Amino acid sequence: MTTSTPPVKPAYRKRRWRWMDVQEQLTGFLFVAPAMIVISVFGLFPIFYALYMSSFKWRVRKGSFIRFGNYEKAMGDWRAVALFIFGFLLLALAYWVWTKALRSRHDGKLLAGIMTALALMGAGWGIMTGWQQMLASGDDNFLNALPITVFYALGTVPAEIGIALVLAYLLYQKIRGQELFRMIYFLPYITPAVAAAVVFRTIFNPRKTSLANQFLSWIGLETQRWLFEPKPFLNVMFGTHLEGLKAGPSMALVAVIFFGVWTYVGYNTVIFLAGLGSIPHDLYEAAEIDGADRWQSFRNITLPLLSPVTFYLALIAFIGTFKAFNHLYVMRSPAALGTVDTTSLVIFDTFYKANQFGYATAQAIILFLIILALTLVQSKVFGEKVFYG
Amino acid sequence: MASLTKPAPRSRPIDGGRILIYVILLSGVILAIVPFFWMVSTSLMTLGETINKQWLPKVPQFSNYSEAWTEAKFAKYFFNSVIITAVTVAGQLTVSILAGYAFARIKFFGRSFIFTILLSSMMIPESVIMIPNFLLIRGQIIPLPGGTWLNTLQALTIPFWGSVFSIFLLRQFFITVPSELWDAARLDGAGHLRFLLRVVLPISKAPIVTVFIFSFIGSWNAFLWPLLVTTRDVWRPLSVGLWSFVTEAGPETQLLMAGAVITIVPILILYFLTQKQFTEGIATTGLKG
Repeated sequence: MTTSTPPVKPAYRKRRWRWMDVQEQLTGFLFVAPAMIVISVFGLFPIFYALYMSSFKWRVRKGSFIRFGNYEKAMGDWRAVALFIFGFLLLALAYWVWTKALRSRHDGKLLAGIMTALALMGAGWGIMTGWQQMLASGDDNFLNALPITVFYALGTVPAEIGIALVLAYLLYQKIRGQELFRMIYFLPYITPAVAAAVVFRTIFNPRKTSLANQFLSWIGLETQRWLFEPKPFLNVMFGTHLEGLKAGPSMALVAVIFFGVWTYVGYNTVIFLAGLGSIPHDLYEAAEIDGADRWQSFRNITLPLLSPVTFYLALIAFIGTFKAFNHLYVMRSPAALGTVDTTSLVIFDTFYKANQFGYATAQAIILFLIILALTLVQSKVFGEKVFYG
Repeated sequence: MASLTKPAPRSRPIDGGRILIYVILLSGVILAIVPFFWMVSTSLMTLGETINKQWLPKVPQFSNYSEAWTEAKFAKYFFNSVIITAVTVAGQLTVSILAGYAFARIKFFGRSFIFTILLSSMMIPESVIMIPNFLLIRGQIIPLPGGTWLNTLQALTIPFWGSVFSIFLLRQFFITVPSELWDAARLDGAGHLRFLLRVVLPISKAPIVTVFIFSFIGSWNAFLWPLLVTTRDVWRPLSVGLWSFVTEAGPETQLLMAGAVITIVPILILYFLTQKQFTEGIATTGLKG
């Protein structure tokens, strides 16, 4: 009888392990289940459903299957799109040839220069011609929103990062009340965008007594129509007569850019401050011993060591401007004639005003692809220049 | 995070450069604050004063606030926002704590696969999933109890319960909880739920407060989704109420500004109460909304 117990024990143990294993598995699934259900239903399923919707004529109710019809409607003839993308690939090629030529110090430099020039010319031609043809065959409303989005991004991102870098660097010098400054700079970022945008609507009102116009008259300039002004900023302020894309953002969009910068400077400052805090002090001390002045140590220590932070902020900010909706929606006025309508606003209008659900989804997917491409390019081009300690 | 506030080790005597630094920093403060000042000041003006070229009201019109609160229905919007935010935050915290704990400490089949899928879904912009979600809420994809969920509390809250960002943030913290604690708890016969509630949560105040703050702000400031799913006042939150005031009520700027103040004040209170947690949570996680 006693001899029969030893063989039982391992089997019992084994079974108990399995039972505990099953219990562990079950607990795991139960714990994750609520999150998985909500995220699957409202986050994952809609992605596939969006792909599905985008291949139908879908005005409120589902219509006929048109495969890529919505995409062609937005972007125009696919050959034009291909030419346009080909232009950008040539641009990438030019960049690649040029950086490779700089790295290897062979006699091939001249050749590389010629190749780069050729590729650049080809790129310019491809992008311009492709764009013209896309405009001719696609949806002007959607396509014109792309340069507006780019203007908005280029107007906001460098400014908000540059200003934030200066503020953070100055704050980091032993400043009395550093925390108070930081707290105040951060305020715009947490303010509900709709409320802040409503305030900016009155500040950049075309009325002579609006805050922005009071400021202009105070420094001796003419008052402006701001958010109501569709004319290009450069033409209005400097009397130039530029047209089309060369003219740059409209006056109304510049007012929106002010809002974007105002909102995000504080956030960037906080992140920069954290980055500055992680730079070891002995580096500065060593530089000082070697006789470096402040500018030199800023240029050769601070900037390179901050570059991962700068890169991160630029990437996030860029993506953010392409997704931005709330404040743009609140600040736009019909008088601006669509010159502040970035891609996300056009998508919203296609969906909400025009009730073209399938078409709007296709536009949103195109926007997502553009964001994806930009992210990849940005990490490729600038990611290489980042110095990770 | 002590490094965040640690001043540079060298102190300098007051000089011209230093004054310049303060001038630059103070102009930054002025630019950051002027819109707030303008908002509060305008909210206390008479309608006539808002059109004139003046910075301060002659006599502060506090009645603007009571007018906005009752007649412009901001009271309704305010309490809607309070309820929506409370339900969103409570739901998101519960769901994220459970999932974050499971992803950190329970070994179940397909754990890392599921987690990767969740993380990659963070890249998708709202505009892509907005339209399918809208159809879903209107009951046009699958039949819903009650037909449509337009103008309901659940439409405004449940989609925000599943936050990959919150799950990720909590998981990163739960991973650092020493496994000796779990071994000890198991010896005492505790299961995962009891261990989570009794041991893990009490030592996880910092990340939980961070998630609380983020979900509070996200919910209070949300605009696009509430705009889509509230066609009537029943559950309309402040952000949408403010916007509908702009489009429906015309040029009563002083009431509009009072409404903006009402919208902003709760966030400011939260900000001042949790100031340190706030900026440091953001500096360490790098959230951009």
